[in-house]
Amino acid sequence: MKASPSTKRLLLTLFAVIGILTPAAGVAAVAQDATEITYFTFSAAPDQLETLDAMIAVFEEQNPGITVNVETAPFGDYFTELQTRIAGGDAPDVFELNYENFVTYASRGALLDVTDRLEADPDLAAAIYPKALEAFNFDGAQYGLPASFSNVVLFYNKDLFDAAGVEYPTAEWTWEDELAAGEQLTNPDQGVWGMNAPVTYNEFYKTAAQNGCEIVADDGTVTIDQPECVEALQFMVDPVANGYQPTEADLSGIGDTDLFLQGDMAMITTGIWMFPQFSEAEFAWDIALEPGNTTKAHHFFSNAVAISSETDKVDAAWAWQSFLSASPEAAEIRVGANWELPAVTDQSVLDSWMGQTPPDSREVVFEALDSLVTPPPFTNQALIQDELDVLFERVVAGDLSAEDALAEAKVTIEGVLSE
Amino acid sequence: MVGDRGWRHAAWVALFVLPGFSALLVFIIGPILASLVLTLYEWDLLTDPRFVGIDNFRRLISDDDFWAAFRHTIGYIVGYVPLVMVSALAVALALNARMPALGAIRTAFFLPVVSSWVAVALLWTWMFNPRFGLINYALGLIGIDGPAWLYDSQWAMPAIILTSVWKDLGFVMVVFLAGLQSIPHDYYEAASLDGASWWERLRSITLPLLAPTTFFVAIISIINSFQVFTQVWIMTEGGPSGSTTVLVERIVKHAFSYGEMGYAATISWVLCLVIFAVTLMQQRLQRWSAAYD
Amino acid sequence: MTDISLSQARSRRLSRRSGTALRYLLVVLAAATMVVPFLWMVSTSLKAPGSVLTIPPQIVPESPTLDSYRRVAESIPIVRMVANSLFVTVATVLLQLATCAMAAYAFARMRWRGRDVLFLIYLATLMVPGQVTITPLFILVKELGWTNSYQALILPAATSAFGTFLLRQAMISIPREYEEAAFLDGASHWTIFRTIIVPMSRASLATLAVFSAMGAWNDFLWPLIVLNDPDRMTLPVGLSLLQGRYTNDWNMIMAGAVISVVPIVAAFFVAQRAFVNGMVSSGLK
Repeated sequence: MKASPSTKRLLLTLFAVIGILTPAAGVAAVAQDATEITYFTFSAAPDQLETLDAMIAVFEEQNPGITVNVETAPFGDYFTELQTRIAGGDAPDVFELNYENFVTYASRGALLDVTDRLEADPDLAAAIYPKALEAFNFDGAQYGLPASFSNVVLFYNKDLFDAAGVEYPTAEWTWEDELAAGEQLTNPDQGVWGMNAPVTYNEFYKTAAQNGCEIVADDGTVTIDQPECVEALQFMVDPVANGYQPTEADLSGIGDTDLFLQGDMAMITTGIWMFPQFSEAEFAWDIALEPGNTTKAHHFFSNAVAISSETDKVDAAWAWQSFLSASPEAAEIRVGANWELPAVTDQSVLDSWMGQTPPDSREVVFEALDSLVTPPPFTNQALIQDELDVLFERVVAGDLSAEDALAEAKVTIEGVLSE
Repeated sequence: MVGDRGWRHAAWVALFVLPGFSALLVFIIGPILASLVLTLYEWDLLTDPRFVGIDNFRRLISDDDFWAAFRHTIGYIVGYVPLVMVSALAVALALNARMPALGAIRTAFFLPVVSSWVAVALLWTWMFNPRFGLINYALGLIGIDGPAWLYDSQWAMPAIILTSVWKDLGFVMVVFLAGLQSIPHDYYEAASLDGASWWERLRSITLPLLAPTTFFVAIISIINSFQVFTQVWIMTEGGPSGSTTVLVERIVKHAFSYGEMGYAATISWVLCLVIFAVTLMQQRLQRWSAAYD
Repeated sequence: MTDISLSQARSRRLSRRSGTALRYLLVVLAAATMVVPFLWMVSTSLKAPGSVLTIPPQIVPESPTLDSYRRVAESIPIVRMVANSLFVTVATVLLQLATCAMAAYAFARMRWRGRDVLFLIYLATLMVPGQVTITPLFILVKELGWTNSYQALILPAATSAFGTFLLRQAMISIPREYEEAAFLDGASHWTIFRTIIVPMSRASLATLAVFSAMGAWNDFLWPLIVLNDPDRMTLPVGLSLLQGRYTNDWNMIMAGAVISVVPIVAAFFVAQRAFVNGMVSSGLK
């Protein structure tokens, strides 16, 4: 018996279904006449996409034949997504990395070594802010070029300070001064919170440094349970316990920066990337160095542009990477849009950034660079961060003392490091 | 001749079985076996897989976070299963009669069932918002100062349980209704003639005859509950203070946030064994109850 | 009849009537509990930005606007996501119906060596929860270069052991006489499958269709893992993306939720009976 026509029809249908499905995957791999590179970023979305588009327009004009496709993800999802894409063999040609995650990707061989290309172009190297460039050097090789950097300072609402008759923060302030001001500024009747800094691991390693606490000693022993560290955690929790700082439930999903912007928060410890949003505030505000306790310590964040070690469009990727990092055009567009601080040495660009207000005291941003701290170089950063954040939440909720939390944190970190 | 027929028959069998079976082999059976092998490895997908023997199982035994997630999953089941069954049975009993607008009322119970879990979880995250949500507003109207729900480690799991009961009520109710409608009407008529009250009829006719359905619903609900994930992921992501971590959430975190494929596979096999144990228990109990019928 | 028994009968009738009223009240209240959150969802989505985070909440939006829907469309490719969900759902259902019905036919209506063993293997896979396969399946999909593709969503669900089991049960109960006459007329298995067995299993096929459609439409975990390009995302993942980006913009999140709920609710109204049957027998799984 021959296969009946209907059998054939069935088989054809099945193949057709499978056939329709398969080409979709291959499209990206097909080479095109013009070089098309993908750039994956978190810092542009959602507020600075137009700024990035403006940079791309200039770049594409200077480099005919190269087009840049932008893909974005919110910061919270970005690194999970990036990891999945690299693992899935679907890495973007060029992508953004922050300093904290740089080591993970560099050490796993996911990034292209651009040392030779950088050395071949001394002008380029000289145009990049040295401290930021250094940050993306791993084992003596350059794996990324910084595009911007930022740090965290103390923002304060001048109007609320004036109304409460409190002196503005100065560089001489310590934790004690900050807490005292927080108490005076808190006004539950008017819904005004005195201060805010998130009680998280990211905030902790810096606050700990302000008190001379080392999370991991030079010889590799975990020392997160030292009294200096306990004191630091206690200082972070006290404002919540005393009602100067809102709990998560008080916020009910409203952002802490939203409260500051609404004029309902007197002091907030947050990043200079908030400048553009806060410039819409209807009150006077300024920034100051973080108080610190026994010493000063400030976050240092730098976002770099890195090339995937898997890409086959290295030249185009390099052109975009060096343009985004060091070109005066990109830097000027960045400054014009008030989008972080370009990591360039060009004085005229920096001057025009300094000239913008608010805040009046922009020099604070550079002063903070003298006391920058970086997170301990843990290999499984994500796991440790999650574990410690949970412990800190329990301290905030009053279920655990700061001392017990850090004793537990020590065990956790040692456990993760030993695996 | 026979051979020819045999070959032709085999070709027909292959034609019918192979499309489905090959998909089963590649996408289900293969991965199941691979997952078993994976429990002996650690793999972050970026570097080469590393053979670790039974280290993953050893780690599991002393992993407080795993046991916490296990406890939370059991806590979820203990809260959810009885609640959804009692309320679904109550609604099914009430609906198992002629009444005005019956169709519309039944439809109302199906709306949450057909909606996606993501939409429902987002809706209830918003409902449970301590300051701006509908729940605490309604509680306020009757003079109750509502808790912080998803922001409070005591109340987050109850909120997730209530959301799940709301979502699944219609589904469980339909299964109960099917069971109720299979009870012969004569039994009730006879009982009515004997002057049995509603309560007596429920106790002596409805509940015993509904027992197989009840049993079945309980087992299905327990097995499904061990796999609770989406609502937790959307509503709390395991928080606050890690009070709502559950087994599947651990699997996803370890595999896709911490790059520990092997450990994730290990947890998934523990989950599988637990579900298997529940199924075995079901069969034992069923045999036992059949013997005493 | 004595006076006493008369009054007993009356009080019983009275209590039955009040019992019916009470029962009706209970049912209506419970039904309201089901519906009110959906109304709140719609109401929130229609509010103007700024009138969401208010105390007390506005139950009915003061100045309703479709602005949130516009903003959803601007921030994620929502139309594309609806289309993706539709395409993936339809493809999954068609594939599952075809593969399951054919395998079920072989299990139910044909004799062959190894049949019972193979069927046992099918049943055994039902015991293993989906989470077990998720890591290896992800690695497989990645090795095939299928991340961010439709086939990564569709092909792993191309067949279902549960569906095969369900259809086998339906097909095995069809009396032999139907096909014997056809075989004598020289009809092939394919003809019998197509003209006799499939039409007679229509109810179970519909059940499976509903069941797998709901599964494909609402699936979250797997698409969450294999998709990161918004243009390929299905609705549930797109919705969670919205939540990740606009944590507190409840107008927008609820507008997205409405968009995701409307198609499946509409489908439910069209095929209510099949849905309910699907739910009852999906319990069998």
